[in-house]
Amino acid sequence: MGLSSIFEPESIAVVGASNNVNKWGGRILKNILSSFNGTVYPVNPNEENILGVPSYPSVLNIPGEVEMAVIALPAQAVLPVAEECGKKGVKGLIVVSAGFSETGNEEREKDLLLIVEKYGMRMIGPNTLGIVNEPVSLNASIIDRLPSKGPLSFITQSGTLGLALAEWTIDMGLGLCKIISTGNKANIDDVDIIEFLGNDPSTSVIAMYAEGIKRGKAFMDAAIRIKKPIIAIKTGVSKRGSEAVFSHTGSIAGSDEIFSAAFKQAGILRVESIEDVFDAALAFSCQPLPKGNNVAILSNGGGAAIVATDECEKHGINIVDLTEDTREKIKNIVPEYASISNPVDTAAAVSYKIYREAIEALLHDPNVDALIVIYVHTLMSNARPPAAAVAEMKKETQKPIITCWLGGVGTEEGIEILKIGGLPNYSVPERAVRALAALIRHREFLKKVKIGGEV
Amino acid sequence: MKILTEHEAKKLLSKYGIPVTKESIADSADEAFAIASQIGTPVAMKISSPDISHKSDVGGVVLNVRRGEVRTTYNRIISQIKKAVPDANIEGVLVQQMAPPGHEIIVGLKKDVQFGHAIMFGLGGIFVEVYRDVSFRVVPIEKKEALEMISEIKAHPVLRGIRGRKPASIPSIADVLVSVSKIAEMEKIIELDINPLIVNEGGAIAVDARAMVE
Repeated sequence: MGLSSIFEPESIAVVGASNNVNKWGGRILKNILSSFNGTVYPVNPNEENILGVPSYPSVLNIPGEVEMAVIALPAQAVLPVAEECGKKGVKGLIVVSAGFSETGNEEREKDLLLIVEKYGMRMIGPNTLGIVNEPVSLNASIIDRLPSKGPLSFITQSGTLGLALAEWTIDMGLGLCKIISTGNKANIDDVDIIEFLGNDPSTSVIAMYAEGIKRGKAFMDAAIRIKKPIIAIKTGVSKRGSEAVFSHTGSIAGSDEIFSAAFKQAGILRVESIEDVFDAALAFSCQPLPKGNNVAILSNGGGAAIVATDECEKHGINIVDLTEDTREKIKNIVPEYASISNPVDTAAAVSYKIYREAIEALLHDPNVDALIVIYVHTLMSNARPPAAAVAEMKKETQKPIITCWLGGVGTEEGIEILKIGGLPNYSVPERAVRALAALIRHREFLKKVKIGGEV
Repeated sequence: MKILTEHEAKKLLSKYGIPVTKESIADSADEAFAIASQIGTPVAMKISSPDISHKSDVGGVVLNVRRGEVRTTYNRIISQIKKAVPDANIEGVLVQQMAPPGHEIIVGLKKDVQFGHAIMFGLGGIFVEVYRDVSFRVVPIEKKEALEMISEIKAHPVLRGIRGRKPASIPSIADVLVSVSKIAEMEKIIELDINPLIVNEGGAIAVDARAMVE
């Protein structure tokens, strides 16, 4: 059965609702009430009204239909409530309560799952922080702000790091579509979520923070099938191989090495740092995939171009030779002492005209698949005109453009122009290159699984 | 769980088309001599016991045994093991063709709780032990992926032959990887090592192997 009863319910009951918004049941109710347009039923036998909404002693007392229920109760009270939800005809559960398999209480989780399956319900959790679904304006989580609209959906297993990442995404202004805290994944697991997001028209890029994967093989298959970019940061204890060393393979093959291999085979972009997850997500959310591996770099500073070039080399990105025609065009644009081969260095010359014409020439070069535009701020230059030039040229091309406006104070207005123009901008060249590398890796993966023609 | 002896592990490899050294277990000095004569000397002689998986650590391996030394070597290995590992159940001594010269490769399998079996490839010796220069895939793999695994390790130019060394047959290594992937799918392996797989221009041959099965 689909997950729409959880992500797009008509009505929601919050069991364990409270007037105290510092309690989970209070916080989540408040977040649902302030976002959701459907019917909301607080459930708490000790209150008549919660946050201004009439409360019911049990889900069975609710007069209308209840499509989804959030359960925020102590673990020992969850099972009878789940049973009542089943009887009531509730289709989806979000079980926030902790105290199940994550604390060693496997039996309780098994019993909960039996109830969920008996009534044909679907369940997120237990031990989840909830979910956010921006397109239907649903915040059934403990995150207290709704993100702005965007194509990125974010899966996090649990824990405060996942929550902090979600909050950070909002701060970065990176639009979000869904935030899903999967918790213990007793019923709905990574495979279900990946398939669901694969079919979700408002999600075009997926970021995940995973500590472990249930049903690893099926997860790999699903990731390959959906074709959407999945960027993952995987943490958790990396178990070195067997302690009593039987084989060499056993001693080297820790869970982490196998994870890396599996992700690579499934085309999942495993990145090194939290920063890289969101940097890549930003590029995917606003740029097309490059046709190939050949990149041109434009910069007004040689040093920054060299840093970018080195990073490209590290990631196997080719700094392509420009055609004679392109070089001829660039020669007429930049000062005569500037570099007209790739990376193109304008030798400190910056203007709308120079950047616009140089970008145009580079984008028209048939050898160039993608462009990195760098601007290094100086006291003598203005960050806005070159930004306006990139934003203008972006409208006229199908090739990805990544930008790096370097220099802190004085660059903000230029960066704002880039942001509005739908360009992914990064504070240093290395980050820009790594984001582009993610686009290239995904493109290469699609080609490899023989669906490249469709993108 | 059961640990296969070298000879058993190689029979398993052989069943899946992986070339292994000519070998047979002798349970007397005379039989050892007969086997050695048939294989051709010099031979390698190794203790065969389900209780001993690290044979050379206990003095259970003698290499380059010449025709005239086979009988005495048999007796020496048996008495050495009886001293070193008194409780070991001894099946006999494995008399084995000496490995041809070539590149030392390690190929292995490990069952992972999340993803099933993973296959590992690397060059033997310091490349694996010090640099951990290995590549992994979750099985099953096909030849194309096997070739990718081979070219992925940092030391792969070594296989193409550098500093006057002869190259290794890379297609032969890929064939072994694909066969090991099939073993993972068909047999109940927990861990498997082919170490070393010796590879030269002519092909690959499994010289030592060990396996833990369910």
